[in-house]
Amino acid sequence: MYVELKSIYKYFGDFKASDDVSFSIEKGKLVGLLGPSGSGKTTILRMIAGLEAPDSGDIFVDGKRINGIPAAKRGIGFVFQNYALFRYMNVFDNIAFGLEIQKRDKKYIRSRVGEMISLIGLTGLEKRFPYQLSGGQKQRVAFARALAPNPQLLMLDEPFAAIDAKVRKELRSWLRETIAKVGITSIFVTHDQDEAIEVADEIIITNLGKVIQSGSPAEIYQNPRAPFVARFIGESAEIENYSVFKGFFPVDGFERAFIRPEFVGLFELGTAQYANSAEEGIVEDVFFRGGEMELRVNVKGIRVISRRSPAELEMQVGEKVSVIVYRLYLFNDSEVKLVENEGLIDREPVFI
Amino acid sequence: MEKAVKGALIAAGAAFIFIMLILPLATVIVYAFRQGLETFWQAVSEPYTLKALQLTLLTTVIALIVNTVFGIAASWAITRYHFKGRGLLTTLIDIPFSISPVIAGLTFILVFGRIGWAYPFLQAHDIKIVFAVPGIVLATIFVTFPFVSREMIPLMQSRGTDEEEAAALMGASWFTIYRKITFPHIKWSLLYGIILCTARAMGEFGAVSVVSGHLRGKTNTLPLHVEILFNEFHLTQAFAVSGILVVIAVIVLIVRNIVEYKLEKGDER
Repeated sequence: MYVELKSIYKYFGDFKASDDVSFSIEKGKLVGLLGPSGSGKTTILRMIAGLEAPDSGDIFVDGKRINGIPAAKRGIGFVFQNYALFRYMNVFDNIAFGLEIQKRDKKYIRSRVGEMISLIGLTGLEKRFPYQLSGGQKQRVAFARALAPNPQLLMLDEPFAAIDAKVRKELRSWLRETIAKVGITSIFVTHDQDEAIEVADEIIITNLGKVIQSGSPAEIYQNPRAPFVARFIGESAEIENYSVFKGFFPVDGFERAFIRPEFVGLFELGTAQYANSAEEGIVEDVFFRGGEMELRVNVKGIRVISRRSPAELEMQVGEKVSVIVYRLYLFNDSEVKLVENEGLIDREPVFI
Repeated sequence: MEKAVKGALIAAGAAFIFIMLILPLATVIVYAFRQGLETFWQAVSEPYTLKALQLTLLTTVIALIVNTVFGIAASWAITRYHFKGRGLLTTLIDIPFSISPVIAGLTFILVFGRIGWAYPFLQAHDIKIVFAVPGIVLATIFVTFPFVSREMIPLMQSRGTDEEEAAALMGASWFTIYRKITFPHIKWSLLYGIILCTARAMGEFGAVSVVSGHLRGKTNTLPLHVEILFNEFHLTQAFAVSGILVVIAVIVLIVRNIVEYKLEKGDER
């Protein structure tokens, strides 16, 4: 393992920022630390970078314990949330800063900075100052500045938080591709699940200073192992009396369940393939969401949400429809259990 | 209606400034030159006046150096570190703003003067503070010491520590960080503070008056000299010497405006 944290504890006064945090990261991976604000994810990042010191526990990078090593000697590139570009230096000097501190020779600096600037696609803007750049450009410069001195590890603190929605989408895929191209082990912090799912090779979910679950985005999305994860990831709505749905039976110790829009299929009345598993529901609300329609349907007093393509036949408010619930996440205080609709098992595998 | 209000407010403001500021200053200049350039020159080049000017400049320069160093250190400590008593320190720095300079002067007498607790020690080592130049310098430093730090603290606070942290993370030394990242940002504020400090140090009367002892040619600063001349009914000389102070004040004002302009430009970043 390239990066390893072992039983890290960190308090700020009475506040438990890290509570027995342990995880490890493989070389070359792009890892997302995901959690709500105050969950301790940024503290973890700052401790690995050396900007904070853990109260106890060990941090290893490349097999070496780095606890006592000062931040500057750890060989870590850090991209700050607000970029923290040096505003009195132009793009070139910003990117060259780390190399100049290392006292590299001028020729090397020139070529390395040139390389970085072409990597981030800002050739020709070397003389611009930060205030003359757009949010996305600033982010790229911050990225290049962190990468220029060839760090062994790259940290990004909420890399997209300060960028407007449209540019953010572009930057996400750009960042993912560029990190893959450079091949540097990277950790980023985010509170946005879409961002983590889309960008990361691996996600580590934190809450209240603890690591709740880690795994690939697909794993996290499909197999949440803790109620917190099931609630936090995806668009989960909580329901009780889940056994009123056909094909679901009460399970001991699990009183409630999460349901996600993709677990609910809507069909025009009478057209559902598995008629004996279908419920009748009444459409309560229809929302146009651009690429898709969101429908709220009342089934036996429980309101469920589902999505349909606008290309399918339109459903009206008040219309009676067939509803099939494919699966549910049953949960209690500490466990999550995935259950399939028993009426559908062995007939057709369901892929989400 | 609105136009009338606007006009009235502008007129009131202009009249106030004319009566309270421009008229007196113009009077000073007019009185200074009333008996001709030659009399003015005589008054100004009189040995006691030159001595007083010298002392004022010396005091100002020392106060500036001390307060600039103190201001930079204090603003750095207050905005870049979290420690116990940080709020208290910030408040204490402001004390000279709220205490009458005369009281400040009296405290120096009470500490270093004949009745002060430090007097035996000073006497034993043959050090003179009160009624001597060191006392004047100390009093001036006391009165002017918030100016530099007060200009810089809000600026450094509002800007945060990200850039410095980023530079430190890349291995930059304290000095490099200050020189390349902090200083370019605060330089105009620093200069602004220094200018305010200069203006105040030159014109300081109250605190200095208490500790000076008014020894002509020894412990007289320009403002004290003006007072002495005035009390001796040498009106023309008094105004002539005042003229020097007014000229310096005007120069400071012009420099201040230039710096303010630069400060506003810097805000764009």
